[in-house]
Amino acid sequence: MGYPEVLAEPGSKVLMLGNVAVARACLEYGVGLASGYPGTPSSEVVEALAYAASKLGYPYVEWSVNEKVAFEVAYGAAISGVPSVVSMKHVGLNVAADPFFSSAYTGVEASLLVISADDPGMWSSQNEQDNRWYGVHAYIPVVEPAGAQEAREAALEALRLSGEVRHPVLLRLVTRVSHTRAPVTVGALGRPRLRGVFKSIPSRWNLIPAHARRLREELLERWRRIEDLVSRSELNVAEGPRDSQVVVIGVGVGYRYAREALRRLKAQVRLVKVTTPVPLPSKFVLGEVEGRDSVLVVEEGDPVFETMIKTLLQEVGLNTRVYGKRSGHLRATGELRLEDVEGAIAQVLGLGYRRPELLEATVKPPPRPPVLCPGCPYRSVFYAVRRAVKRLGLDVVYSGDIGCYSLAVNKPFNAQDTLIEMGGSVGLANGMSHVLGGRVVIATIGDSTFYHAGIPGLINAVYNKAPMMVLVLDNGVTAMTGHQPHPGSGFNAMGGEARRIPVEDVARGVGVDSVYVAEAFNPRDVEAKALSALRDVGEGKISVVIARGPCILMAMSRARAESIPRPSYVVDSSRCRGCMVCYKAFNCPAITPSGDGKITINKTLCTGCGVCERICPFNAIKPASYIDERWWNLLGLTTSSVGGG
Amino acid sequence: MASSESFNILIAGVGGQGVLTLSRIIGEASLASGLNVLVAETHGLSQRGGAVVVHVRIGDVDSPLVPLGEADLMIGLELLEVIRNIGYMRRGGFIVADRLIIPPSIPDVKTPSLDNVIEALRGLDVRLTVIPASEVAEKLGDVRVANVYLLGQAISITKLGSIIGFDGVVKVLRGLPNPELNLKAFKLGYMGGGFEC
Ligand SMILES: Cc1ncc(C[n+]2csc(CCOP(=O)(O)OP(=O)(O)O)c2C)c(N)n1
Ligand code: SF4
Repeated sequence: MGYPEVLAEPGSKVLMLGNVAVARACLEYGVGLASGYPGTPSSEVVEALAYAASKLGYPYVEWSVNEKVAFEVAYGAAISGVPSVVSMKHVGLNVAADPFFSSAYTGVEASLLVISADDPGMWSSQNEQDNRWYGVHAYIPVVEPAGAQEAREAALEALRLSGEVRHPVLLRLVTRVSHTRAPVTVGALGRPRLRGVFKSIPSRWNLIPAHARRLREELLERWRRIEDLVSRSELNVAEGPRDSQVVVIGVGVGYRYAREALRRLKAQVRLVKVTTPVPLPSKFVLGEVEGRDSVLVVEEGDPVFETMIKTLLQEVGLNTRVYGKRSGHLRATGELRLEDVEGAIAQVLGLGYRRPELLEATVKPPPRPPVLCPGCPYRSVFYAVRRAVKRLGLDVVYSGDIGCYSLAVNKPFNAQDTLIEMGGSVGLANGMSHVLGGRVVIATIGDSTFYHAGIPGLINAVYNKAPMMVLVLDNGVTAMTGHQPHPGSGFNAMGGEARRIPVEDVARGVGVDSVYVAEAFNPRDVEAKALSALRDVGEGKISVVIARGPCILMAMSRARAESIPRPSYVVDSSRCRGCMVCYKAFNCPAITPSGDGKITINKTLCTGCGVCERICPFNAIKPASYIDERWWNLLGLTTSSVGGG
Repeated sequence: MASSESFNILIAGVGGQGVLTLSRIIGEASLASGLNVLVAETHGLSQRGGAVVVHVRIGDVDSPLVPLGEADLMIGLELLEVIRNIGYMRRGGFIVADRLIIPPSIPDVKTPSLDNVIEALRGLDVRLTVIPASEVAEKLGDVRVANVYLLGQAISITKLGSIIGFDGVVKVLRGLPNPELNLKAFKLGYMGGGFEC
């Protein structure tokens, strides 16, 4: 995907996502290295930088194997004097937390910007954690922009601050900043610093206790200096009457909601915009709050700022009331909404506020959860694995993981009993395997997730002998988050060729004896190999089944690029007996009941994967046209495996 | 559009139907008209054939999300999604939607019929236009241009026409891949025709 807007003419005003505005700021500052691990809503930062790098030849950009490594990559460059940036989604920072905390102790030589995109409302995440706590916890300042234009400015300021105090800075984005497209005026591109020098200072870069104790003192000292700097930051501003008894403080995107709410209420109230919530810009805040009756804090996520400001007021002996999420004026879960903020302000001001009565339809729509795409290789894999399990009459637990394959949690597959965090499938399966006796544990994990955090769990299973079957869903990319490459893809973030590290080599290398590689689009092959693997587990082994077949979206775009025709499939209704296996058990979205008790295939949705032909018990599904062999090759099928149904 | 005015649009559909593209077209056309605009997109999970909704706010706005009950216009690429988001509509607001129901891909799901859905919408205090956009788009050669067909209709019957302008949209469409087809669908939608082509 292209991001031409990231290279817009200096001075021009262009529509861009908050994430792209951040990428632009990195280019303007002259960042020399960018790393990250994909995750919604953060991914476009690295993607846009990779796009820029493919055009400009700089900076160096990589998708790393996970967030911890991504962090270390940027940290390593920053202590070597190259301004660097690392980007991840909120939960990624949990994975990177170890070096994150240490980085505050050592500090850096050149700017280190850590980008965390939080996901309040959990649009694409397993939790709603507010990563500003990490700033408080680790003594790392947090900068939080209100929108796309501010994201450019905030990222630039964060990079400057980081360079000035030689300390990492956390840029906290949220879904509605990352993924809202807005007009952004851009500046000139900076000269990147691509080469650095490492100055060996053993007492600084070695966190042995003796050094760390001293560094902690220095850290607290630096923290006070940072607090002073952010108190004077031009990113924190106030507008409106100086004498209003109520002050509204909008933190990050909270400012945007508060501003519009005040306008709609026609309320003459002081509005404070805070872009640097951590450490609390005490002097600035006190200047705005002293002498007022009450303060309403509008912030996305947890009441982080609200809690800190209360502590401050207590310390200086002020009894200004503080309202927000702890007081129940705003909801503690989900995203902020304009109408909620309006209601909260009205409540504090003692104004009446009525929400409009909403229209309601008499017809209720059925739910529409996301599903595996038509032609997704996983449909075939889950269909086949479930058949193998049934044939052996096993009672299994599916220890699942995060990725497109998580969608197998739904009917008809019901092939995911747990989804906790990335890599958790194999880790949890270890524990289950030790305590569940007769039940067989199948850990299902995507390829990107396997490299990310699945390998240690697998090593643990071999080392501590925890029999299980690990099903690796190898579609060649990190599909769920937008098809980013990973160590199994054969190419890198900037589109260059990369050494492919096959999952089977890793599995064998760490001592797994029972390793099978199956063609994902060939359910018979998957079933046969799953059968063998499950028998191996019965004998106390750890087995790994790698179901390999490309994400159909990637296969289709390659077919388009290489002018390979795709077949489409049709139903021979004289043969279809209406058994509904393809509709109910295989559940391809392109297949629907036709009304006469049989089925039809939707031509626009059909991708030509051909799996339905292979699973139809009555040979009722056939290609409508001649099939180019290159299409089968693209899907990772050998011709012998696809002859006839 | 006066400097203190705003216009709220909701675009609803199913992943893969071109909801994001449509929102970007409106966003670009707004910016080209010198207006402030916010396009709050849905990425990630919801794109795998799930429900997708994008909020587009033009004018004097700060909040990225359309408040409930305040959408001036909903462009619906699919009718169940229109129903799902009906709470966003302002009374008397416009709905321009494709005459299309895509049943969710869940085995044995109960989907209301097209007639029932349209009837339910007709009973509400909204100005409803349901047109066979994807049917026309398919005849034109690519079902994916149903989105700009609907945009054409919305431009011709709502205030959006005077806000971003017919020519403004044409300019943006010229920059898309396959501009001819997009322009054709847009113009047909503007005239509200093409059923017979
Ligand atoms: C720690 C962490 N980082 C990133 C993510 C975002 N994320 C969700 S699924 C996924 C990876 C999916 O890739 P893969 O395992 O290859 O499965 P696929 O989507 O291709 O089926 C990622 C990176 C996350 N949930 N947690
Ligand atoms: S994007 Fe690819 S991996 Fe994900 S559901 Fe679709 S086909 Fe499957």
